[in-house]
Amino acid sequence: MCSHGCSNTNSKISHHLCSKTSFLPHRLDQFFIHVSNSMYNLVTRLQTVSNQALSATAVVSGIIIVLTLIQLVISNVWSIDTTSIQNIKPSASIRNSFNYGSVNRKPKENSKLSFDLDADLSPLFNWNTKQVFVYLTAEYPGKSSGSSNKVTYWDKIIKSKDEAKLHLANQKSKYSVWDVEKSFRGRDAILKLEWNIQPHVGPLIFGETTTTGTFTFADPPKKS
Amino acid sequence: MKVRQQLVQFLNLAYVLSSAFMVWKALSVVTNSHSPIVVVLSGSMEPAFQRGDILFLWNRDQQAHVGDIVVYEIQGKSIPIVHRVLREHHNNEKQLLLTKGDNNAVDDLGLYAKKQGYLNQATDLVGTVKGYLPKVGYVTILLTENIYFRYGILGIMGISSLLTQE
Repeated sequence: MCSHGCSNTNSKISHHLCSKTSFLPHRLDQFFIHVSNSMYNLVTRLQTVSNQALSATAVVSGIIIVLTLIQLVISNVWSIDTTSIQNIKPSASIRNSFNYGSVNRKPKENSKLSFDLDADLSPLFNWNTKQVFVYLTAEYPGKSSGSSNKVTYWDKIIKSKDEAKLHLANQKSKYSVWDVEKSFRGRDAILKLEWNIQPHVGPLIFGETTTTGTFTFADPPKKS
Repeated sequence: MKVRQQLVQFLNLAYVLSSAFMVWKALSVVTNSHSPIVVVLSGSMEPAFQRGDILFLWNRDQQAHVGDIVVYEIQGKSIPIVHRVLREHHNNEKQLLLTKGDNNAVDDLGLYAKKQGYLNQATDLVGTVKGYLPKVGYVTILLTENIYFRYGILGIMGISSLLTQE
């Protein structure tokens, strides 16, 4: 209440007037004034601290984001050309379960792959990389004009630079893929290895390696 | 005198609340998403996202891409889910998506409504995850799930607002 007066030590009068409240309170209303002042200070302090914490977080995150992006550009991660996708063997089957895309038990064509893959994704790892999600996609046209489809056959979570060199031989696809249509046999697809960097702080970063592979969706085996 | 002071205090409080609300709604308009900032509640995207992490969403993309992490809502279920796009099928009119959590063994067919095979990009998405801040959202989880924390904070705020005079 009288911080102005009390801080002014030269003024003897104000010091005398204030001395009662700045020490132990003698009356109840003075006690409340005392408590409310300290409470007011506590709230203001908390507010100041949280405001400063917020600004500090924003500034530090900003710096981290900029540094990470510069580092990724320097290490040229958007044109990784060490990948090879070979020995692509598509296969097909007919499924009747909802978990394989079938509606009302109607037969639905499902596609699988086996493939060889070599890739070195270690440039994607720096001090702000929490994980890299790498996925093998196939893009193929739909029936009507303007329609297109992209599906994932295989993916992997890579948590450290040591696991970032991939050597897969005769790897089976992780997913059994179906289309919105009943059948998609005979269509040509383009395989790509794509990646997503999950940072410790900052934006999610996406990209793909420059190598591609092609295959044609297989016919399911005929019933004899 | 007392009444005037109380009114000014009330006005200040209303000002703080309404400006926070305005910032939130402005963000909603800019991102075209009804909740542009969300807190992760489940572990189905671990180790990418853990409980309490904050995600910044954007909902103005014309199409979703395979590999995008999206937040979607199923009609009739109130809790939004954050998962990765596994497949996309589109023509000139609409785009259908199938999603899956990185940490889950199977795709999200079991999470969708009965007999629903795909998400509709235009209507089911709350937004696409663009940015990430770890752990900071844990306060909100504490507020909603821990009653001691909630009532402790409420009590402190109540007492301080009662006793604050200036």
